[in-house]
Amino acid sequence: MLRDNEGMGLFDRLVVILTKLVSFTSTLLGLGAGETWPGEVALMLRPNIATALSERLSDGVILVAGTNGKTTTSLMVKTILEHIGDSVVHNATGANLINGVVSSFIRNADWLGRVRADVGIFEIDENSLPVILRYMTPKRVILLNLFRDQLDRYGEVDVIVEKWIRALSALPKETVFILNSDDPAVAFIGTSVKGKAVYYGLNDAGKYLSVREHATDSTFCPSCGRRLTYRGVYYSHIGVWKCTGCSFTRPDPTVNRWPSTLPGLYNQYNTLAAVALAKSLGIPESAIKKSLQSFAPAFGRQEEIESAGKTVKLFLSKNPAGFNASLRTVLDMGAKELLFVLNDRIPDGRDVSWIWDVDFETVPPSATVLVSGDRAYDMALRLKYASPAGREPQVFTDLSLAFMHARERNTHEPLYVLATYSAMLEARKILKGRKIL
Amino acid sequence: MKKSIRIAWLYPDLMSTYGDRGNVIVLERRSSWRGVRADIVPVTLETPVSVLESCGLIFMGGAQDRQQKLAGEDFLKRKGPVVKKMVESNIPALFVCAAYQFVGRYYKPYQGDTIPGAGIFDLTTEHPGDQAKRLIGNVRAEIVNPHVLAGTVIVGFENHGGRTHLGPKMKPLAKVISGNGNNGDDGWEGVIYKNAIGSYFHGPLLPKNPAIADWLLEKALGTLALLNDTLEQKANESVR
Repeated sequence: MLRDNEGMGLFDRLVVILTKLVSFTSTLLGLGAGETWPGEVALMLRPNIATALSERLSDGVILVAGTNGKTTTSLMVKTILEHIGDSVVHNATGANLINGVVSSFIRNADWLGRVRADVGIFEIDENSLPVILRYMTPKRVILLNLFRDQLDRYGEVDVIVEKWIRALSALPKETVFILNSDDPAVAFIGTSVKGKAVYYGLNDAGKYLSVREHATDSTFCPSCGRRLTYRGVYYSHIGVWKCTGCSFTRPDPTVNRWPSTLPGLYNQYNTLAAVALAKSLGIPESAIKKSLQSFAPAFGRQEEIESAGKTVKLFLSKNPAGFNASLRTVLDMGAKELLFVLNDRIPDGRDVSWIWDVDFETVPPSATVLVSGDRAYDMALRLKYASPAGREPQVFTDLSLAFMHARERNTHEPLYVLATYSAMLEARKILKGRKIL
Repeated sequence: MKKSIRIAWLYPDLMSTYGDRGNVIVLERRSSWRGVRADIVPVTLETPVSVLESCGLIFMGGAQDRQQKLAGEDFLKRKGPVVKKMVESNIPALFVCAAYQFVGRYYKPYQGDTIPGAGIFDLTTEHPGDQAKRLIGNVRAEIVNPHVLAGTVIVGFENHGGRTHLGPKMKPLAKVISGNGNNGDDGWEGVIYKNAIGSYFHGPLLPKNPAIADWLLEKALGTLALLNDTLEQKANESVR
């Protein structure tokens, strides 16, 4: 149904129609619709267009931010809201800067330049969250977690926390926050916002790690700087914590139990975040349950591809915490054949130092390990030094040869692929493209 | 050759970003592959200096600002003077990234007070102001000191705002081939003083530069058997 768009200026609508037309023509010509540039052009013509567009959403905007889990969580929220009949505008995976958000509006609009959705769900890049907030006032903000990620691009975790607090504390008291109680930095943000904070987290001592992983960022109190103690750690610095110095303690999570349809502890958290959001909107549990039953994983997030008789399972793994989580999940799933693909292009981060913070020591010596990517030799070296015997994995500088090799082994074992962002795109292209192995 | 070594890892909980752990893993493995037992000894805020003194090799890495402040107070007052004495008595040591700045005489930010360093190396670091660009990216450099390693190409990733200049008694570690190094102007990267090395190559410096790892270990253990470093060499050459 078309919505009333009278509040949107004529010029705004013209800009939407124009960019939509260009994007449409470009698709016809096979140049791709573009997930970001239609928005980029629109922003150039009309810098405030994001504000005008977001104000057309009768049910407002939901923002999802955090280092890991943005795509999966926002897709879960979208699934739930669509199940109850909402019309949703949502930015494409990875197009999580302001231009990606505006592009999604352009894609959603009709040919009269009118926004058709009632609600916007946008995953937002860590650095872009303060930028987006200059253009729109969200009804809900979901904050997932903060891990080390591409220090060359994002800077340090502490710096991001500071920027977020400055931007989020300016939001009005009507904005509700959905926060991870088990991440100290995220919980800390809850103490400085005006609006209500709803916490989600896990209360399950059975899932505590017996040995602490290495890649921890936040073991010091975000409030007073003294050391935190943990009753138990679920992964990385996520757990049941309290400060030894001041009175800052993990808030009691009101949403702490929900069956996850996807494997992995981090998906348990993504599910809890989506459920907490849905509950805050008053959506009944039965409807949430029903909508998530058939939830399918997002691109490269535990995607399964059959390629020339070989089952390939893809796990996007782009930073130490994400990589450790993926590794733990695939080893729990009984992985015997592993392929690690490491690229160092701009979307991956140019600095590959972080692989030394991943616990590759947990890979059993019996597993077959292949490596590939632009920085395949860095990955191979990391694995050599993870092995007490100095065992070296097989290196394939050409990714398609790695897949060919895996297929020719003829073992009927699935191949588990853990890859950085651009490497994942490449892997999918090889597996799904016409050039089948 | 000695049969065991204790390696002090300074502030592993506070000063460990960017995969600093890689250096410690490499020292440990390259010892054990030669039949030498290496014990990694974490030395943090609560650790008494006697534990530090019992070690034969020292490593210290990078940090975020807040953590560096915590570690800084302890280092200046307690651990720093001990490390200085150990370096003066030829104990091998490696300081990378924030630690490299920190073992100098001072760090002068573009605003606020000058932060004193431990003065282990005669070098100073100044931040040229918030308009100056941060020096970020891959670096290739050719070792000039120590002479036994001269000509060896070392590679790493740098990410620093401060510009470091060496005092008269300090020798540079390497000549930059591509990238910035100490300050982006004089073409030098890192420092060497006695058996201690400082470098802006952050995080895992040693994996792709095993010659430096073995030089540090030999200073502690004596002459070492050669290892097969074909893979290390390929990884080194893949950095452009």
